[in-house]
Amino acid sequence: MLEVLEPGVLTSIQDAGRPDWTHLGVPVGGACDAWSLAVANLLVGEDAGAAAVEMTLVGATFAVRAPITVGLAGADLGGIVQESGRSLPPGRTHRLEEGSTISFLGDTDPAAPSGARAYLALPGGIDVPPVLGSASTALGAGFGGIDGRRLRAGDVLRAALAGGLASDAVWPAFADDPLAAAGTDPLRLLAGPAAGLEAIIATEWTVGAASDRVGLRLEGPPLPATASGELLSRGVVRGAIQLPPGGAPIVLLAEHQTTGGYPIAAVVITADHPRLGQLRPGASVRFTVTTIDDARLALARQREALARGAATVRAGAAWDELWQSAGG
Amino acid sequence: MTEPTSTIAPLGDSALLVTFGDRIDPGLNERAHDLAAAVERLRAGDERFGRAVPAYASVLVPFDPIAVEPEEARRIVAGLVDEAPPGVETKGVGTLVEIPVRYGGANGPDLAEVAALHGLQPDDIVELHAGTEYRVYFLGFAPGFAYMGPLPAQIATPRLDAPRQRIPAGSVGIAGEQTGVYPFALPGGWRIIGRTDVSLWDLGRDSPSLLRAGDRVRFVPAP
Repeated sequence: MLEVLEPGVLTSIQDAGRPDWTHLGVPVGGACDAWSLAVANLLVGEDAGAAAVEMTLVGATFAVRAPITVGLAGADLGGIVQESGRSLPPGRTHRLEEGSTISFLGDTDPAAPSGARAYLALPGGIDVPPVLGSASTALGAGFGGIDGRRLRAGDVLRAALAGGLASDAVWPAFADDPLAAAGTDPLRLLAGPAAGLEAIIATEWTVGAASDRVGLRLEGPPLPATASGELLSRGVVRGAIQLPPGGAPIVLLAEHQTTGGYPIAAVVITADHPRLGQLRPGASVRFTVTTIDDARLALARQREALARGAATVRAGAAWDELWQSAGG
Repeated sequence: MTEPTSTIAPLGDSALLVTFGDRIDPGLNERAHDLAAAVERLRAGDERFGRAVPAYASVLVPFDPIAVEPEEARRIVAGLVDEAPPGVETKGVGTLVEIPVRYGGANGPDLAEVAALHGLQPDDIVELHAGTEYRVYFLGFAPGFAYMGPLPAQIATPRLDAPRQRIPAGSVGIAGEQTGVYPFALPGGWRIIGRTDVSLWDLGRDSPSLLRAGDRVRFVPAP
């Protein structure tokens, strides 16, 4: 059991989202980096899409009210046990003792930040009532998670399974981790229905400060006037690069609206969505065009990597249990 | 074959956008909802496809690109488009929903300016807005927000140049030939002419949204 002492910049409960209510205007939502959500959950033996805590840039400080094992993944936001100074890096589980305080006060290496968002998973998921089939917090509409809002001091997070796990788990560092791609690798995209692709790939963009869970604002040279405008509203997708009239391009993230009227010049491939969710304000980003075949291959490899990682974690847990029972 | 009046184009690696036209038109909208309904019937036995998102004259159809090859997804969706050709009246009229509205004053801070822009009195705007039956074209922008129209041409008004940071729940707005009700407090750029106490979005209801695509709506002036 964890109690929030300080919530940080933007900490909320997120899961794989609610994809079945878009016809009523409900954003899919969920984790901005679904890969790291999955890793954090799989580390504690939970389903990849279960509810976990999403922390942004500067994370929360928690009081550990009962012993618990947590899974951490995503950006390294400087997780630390305050009493002992023990660091809490992502990509593994951590056993936390009752009475200790853990904090995520921001990246320990500001010169080479690892990303924007960290995920903290609890065994069995976080015990909050699902709304429209999901525990994710719809911050714009104000439902899901805890009362539809970001976490604040005094909130208590209960694991759906009490206590700790039998063993520690470490996420294997093999290839195809989407976040292992160097920060300077261009994000891959497919051409969209509207013009503007050439300008998007010719530019090194900066992620704007007004970026949020709805979208990343890209700052750079003004686009040709013909590239932007307004059309009849239609359904839009995560990763779409919209060109609002006279404005900077917007890359749609997890909590984007279901429909939109801006021209879409390109769409970032699904396999690169986790990296989109890890871009910090001020980060540089470039784009490159790929093919639908490569987009599918990258996504298939990513799913295989997740399955292999999950199997490795499970095998480790099984081995530990066998070892412990054999040792009596 | 797919009707020449529709196009099917990929939107990224995991969705197709089927477009029936580029204008606000009840017939085109009907085609969009027929296709969305066909996708839902398909989904009952085919998990490779995601929930369809209908809009004015288009439908977004998400799919899992590993489970189904994009070309096959396109063939399947094209088959659904062919099942419901244009010009076929597939449905009767939708449910009529009446929404009481207090026009003007603090409830409708833009009513006077809208009237002035059209050289009319505020009462004329109320009469025209409340004297028309609107069609719910689709829901988007926010949970429970229904895009309705067409507004009488005499009161069609562009959106505000600078959107407001917070529009109260129940605010009735107009933009272009559209009208809509903000289901909860939101930022927005529509011109606000009134407010209703009716709850457009309520998670305690079986269907949380008061309005559904295809419904007919009348605004009734309330004291």
